[in-house]
Amino acid sequence: MIPPRPGLVVLDASFRYGDIVVLDDESLSVEPGETLVVTGENGVGKSTLLYLCAGLIPVSSGAVLLDGRSPDRVHPSALFRAGVRRGFVFQQGGLLSNLSAFANVVLALRYHADVLGLDEATVDRRARDALARMDVARADMHALPAHLSFGVRKRVAVARALALEPNFMFFDDPDAGLDPESARLVQDLLVSCRDDPRITSVVASNHRGLLDRLEVQPHELCGGKLLQRVSRFVV
Amino acid sequence: MRPSAFFDPRVAGQATSRRLVAGVGVRAIAALHATTRALATLGGAFGSVAAPGSAARSVARRVLLMQILFTGVQALGLVSVIALFLGATIIIQIGMMAPATTGDILGRILVAVVLRELAPLGTAIIVGGRSGTAIAAELGGMKVNSEILALSSLGIDPSRYVVLPRLLGVVVSVLALMVYFGVVAIVGGYIVSLPIIPSSFGALRAGFSEALGPADLLLFFGKGVGLGTIVGWASCHFGLQVSVSPTEVPQMASRAVVTSLLGCVVFNTAVTAAFYWAVGSPMRY
Repeated sequence: MIPPRPGLVVLDASFRYGDIVVLDDESLSVEPGETLVVTGENGVGKSTLLYLCAGLIPVSSGAVLLDGRSPDRVHPSALFRAGVRRGFVFQQGGLLSNLSAFANVVLALRYHADVLGLDEATVDRRARDALARMDVARADMHALPAHLSFGVRKRVAVARALALEPNFMFFDDPDAGLDPESARLVQDLLVSCRDDPRITSVVASNHRGLLDRLEVQPHELCGGKLLQRVSRFVV
Repeated sequence: MRPSAFFDPRVAGQATSRRLVAGVGVRAIAALHATTRALATLGGAFGSVAAPGSAARSVARRVLLMQILFTGVQALGLVSVIALFLGATIIIQIGMMAPATTGDILGRILVAVVLRELAPLGTAIIVGGRSGTAIAAELGGMKVNSEILALSSLGIDPSRYVVLPRLLGVVVSVLALMVYFGVVAIVGGYIVSLPIIPSSFGALRAGFSEALGPADLLLFFGKGVGLGTIVGWASCHFGLQVSVSPTEVPQMASRAVVTSLLGCVVFNTAVTAAFYWAVGSPMRY
């Protein structure tokens, strides 16, 4: 029996992706409000590690717990209802291609409006605030993702994650491919997440500028092991 | 043949048998896994009907309405043309093969051929070819672009937001289009074929009244729900089987259509056989 524990806990987890061993019987924990930065060579499985930590894909063995709860992959809303709110910024954005930028941000707010206790006006305001915080122009709000530049798409993806006021944030190469202005905006946001005691963050990146800004000791993923791990969770 | 130091036919035969058994075993296990995954897709969708969340239900309802618009309403033109010409063809064929056919006999034949068979199967094939491929390709694209993972990360159930509305949308559309198909095929076909078979519409209607029974309503509804479920299920399931590459999308879309076509034909035949086993010959009914 695993005792409930806040923050992110990965316990004796293994995962293999073809020939790549992403996790090899590895454990780690990230305390609430802490930030874990993962680096590693291209193709070593940083993105997959993030998916595993967020509970988006299942580990082959072991367990992943978010605030003491095991993510339900079939019904992820169960985790949300239990108070675990995840925000995930995908490498390519992961925006729904048939919805406008605004609709992408509004969707999850509407879906969980009863859980969050939001009315339609609040949903609308919160989505606009999140987009404005990421400096998304009003003209871009009602455009489909295909009509937006990569930088704007990524900023919309961050806004979508932020709008839910998550207690877990996962950033997969957040400033890759962005122009300097967008990269600075995303880095500022990452720093504010790092300093926010309510948000537990995991960042996967090799970008020196971002790592310097975050000033968090990075952990290198190599051969299924996270080197310089923060702490080992003991049952 | 005498065994040599290099080749012993008995050993070779045993090895071949083992390979054969292993091959069958591997295929059986793969088929079992595929069936389990397919059932999980269906189970997840139907299971989410009872999931809590009034707001989530409202969001899913909007997706359902859009799906009915794309699958049902926007297919009306195509269904009209196909139903009209198929209906006319059948009436012309009957007129040519049996010129002495009376209106009431024609009505009975049309009930048996058009309403019980052609409308359900024709509609399912049209919806499968038109919307089934679109759904499978759309969901495949969503998998490739991490959109399904993104939904999960936001706490949105893909089975509720993506699969269920599409599945129900296809079922509702198939049912509605079946009715439409039947009406257009019979009324339109009758009008088109009037110069060839000069029978009164009253006699035709009398034939319908005699042939149609309460069991037909059950058959029609059962076929509509069953065929719609097969098309919607196959489309969603194969779309979600795309893993990482865009090249998988057309492959899975093709598998979705082929599977739903085969499933529809087998299901339709089985239900028809069960129906006539239960109610007897259409000409005595």
